[in-house]
Amino acid sequence: MKNRCIECKGKGLCGRARCPILEKFRATAKHSPQKQGEKTIFGASPPAVFVGRYGYPEVSAGPMIPPLMESEDAAQLEDPHALLGMGIDEIIQKRCQLVRANTTVKVKQFEKSRLIEKAQEMALSRKPVDTEVLLSKPLKPAQKFDGVLTPMGPAGKMESFDIAENPKVPGKVDYLTYDTDVKATDAALELYGHKVGCEHITRLLSIGLLGQETKLVPTRWAITATDDMVGKELSKGLLDYPEIKDIQLYSGGSLGNHFEILLIPRSYSFELLELWMARTVWSADKVWIGQDMEGTSGKKGYSPLAGGYYAARLPVLEKLENIRKQAAVFAIREITPDYWAPLGVWVVREAARNALSTKPDSFETLEEALMDMSRRINTPFYQWREKSELLPYVKEQTTLSRFLS
Amino acid sequence: MLEATIDASLLKDSIESLSVLVDEARVHISPEGIGVKAVDPANVAMVSFELQADAFDEYQAEESEIGLDLTRVLDILGVAEKTDKVRMKLEEDSRKLSISIGGISYTLTLLDPSTIRAEPRIPQLELPAEIVVNGKGFSRTIKAAEKISDHMSMGVEGETFFLEAEGDTDRMRQEMPRDELISITPGPARSLFSLDYLSDIAKPASKSNEVTLQIGNDFPIKINFEIAGGRGKVGYLLAPRIESE
Repeated sequence: MKNRCIECKGKGLCGRARCPILEKFRATAKHSPQKQGEKTIFGASPPAVFVGRYGYPEVSAGPMIPPLMESEDAAQLEDPHALLGMGIDEIIQKRCQLVRANTTVKVKQFEKSRLIEKAQEMALSRKPVDTEVLLSKPLKPAQKFDGVLTPMGPAGKMESFDIAENPKVPGKVDYLTYDTDVKATDAALELYGHKVGCEHITRLLSIGLLGQETKLVPTRWAITATDDMVGKELSKGLLDYPEIKDIQLYSGGSLGNHFEILLIPRSYSFELLELWMARTVWSADKVWIGQDMEGTSGKKGYSPLAGGYYAARLPVLEKLENIRKQAAVFAIREITPDYWAPLGVWVVREAARNALSTKPDSFETLEEALMDMSRRINTPFYQWREKSELLPYVKEQTTLSRFLS
Repeated sequence: MLEATIDASLLKDSIESLSVLVDEARVHISPEGIGVKAVDPANVAMVSFELQADAFDEYQAEESEIGLDLTRVLDILGVAEKTDKVRMKLEEDSRKLSISIGGISYTLTLLDPSTIRAEPRIPQLELPAEIVVNGKGFSRTIKAAEKISDHMSMGVEGETFFLEAEGDTDRMRQEMPRDELISITPGPARSLFSLDYLSDIAKPASKSNEVTLQIGNDFPIKINFEIAGGRGKVGYLLAPRIESE
């Protein structure tokens, strides 16, 4: 039977007004330290912005601010490395302090909004920015969880919004934002090439600072768009690199997301199997296995594995780019019950990065590598092996190099 | 340097014979004609293509190499009528190609050949069996096999050439004895191939009356045919699939 929750991740496909799984976490997360009845919020934004997708093209958008938090602590809230060092409890607790101060705007007509303009100015910064927000009503405790998004705290309508210090804007960001001659994709790639982090690029894209016809992009979409744009570009370049010499296996992960990443000497292709063990966030009492892949010509259409596919692919492509080699990549992401709350796709990206930062083991044959891999995977071998399309392809389809004498 | 005039349909067929495997190609130009050798990104199939100077209505060239975006050239050739002539002129620095079709003239910016995959090394193979078939018939068999499977085997038993496909539930087999073939040199042969590739290759081959297939045991297949009335030739080499145990 299909497990609809895994494919939906809180989008509402079951027809319920609220996702019962997400509801559970809302109840457990603690409230922000904001005083009851207070309408003014002071705090350093990491910086972070949020653009919703409900009602698109008329959406809620604005800055995210943790009340009373100092810049040093605030920086952690958007920093995957810092978050990775915490437990899931702590991540939820910290992230839920972020108040989504918003205003309702049309995604293509936000120029007139002073509030969005201020949020844009703040989003440029690479360091936390002190801010002050006046809300129309005092906050009610609430949290937001989602499969792609990082958890967030309550939302409130903004009356006014000010930034109390100058944002620290990296040169490249200053140069490429507000430039309506550069396409969003090209701008994103150039920023990435200049070591601007994915979180920062997503923020700029989301709040309408990149591209020829700028518009607000719901954060959920902007995260995956960034992973995909950068990934596509990297994968095109790989095809000119030589194949890796031998079969290599990377293993690792974090926060209940275990990765086994197998590099096979072949031209580039990428397959991801997601193994959701029983009793993880989205799975019920049975294991659920999802599969998607792309060949040398890249991915067409949106992956059934959603944002997690693109988030897992990016670190793999970065690794191959780094060693300037191409390979057929067979990746397994096993989600264990330790991953008990949805934290967003940054976890997938960072768990894969973690695996790829280890020293790989080399193998003579594919079967040996798969056997080794299966020892660290809880889901039985026979259950996932047959789901792979890449493994039979690699085994059965020879290449011309094999016939060079 | 290149200045040449050619039938629009011949040029289109030529480009299509390459574009089934690659999007971009290094084209080698010489006084004798033009040639391309390219391998698909997955390194499973390669094409070698030659068109002699006398296949053109007019042809003048010096040694050079250009990088062509095949998809764009095909797109441009889409405006040509079958009977149109295409006039091509390579600018001095080999960075731009002007293409004139029935009064319309395009200037196409070329790719830097060094950014396109280098010409492949070509395996030297001795393939025991050779069969010559009609291109249209060959293409029809491939279409028939695609209905039930994603791979097809080809082989020779005695003096009979056979093509066979097996899907999860269904089978297809075609046998062609000597009298149904244009010619056959029998030899021990049976190899399995991906139908994705075969159907791509069969498209250009289907326009040829005589397509030569050379096969062996679990070895690549060579698929060769002539174009432009024998003043050009196209050859493919496709790596086999092997059945996993």
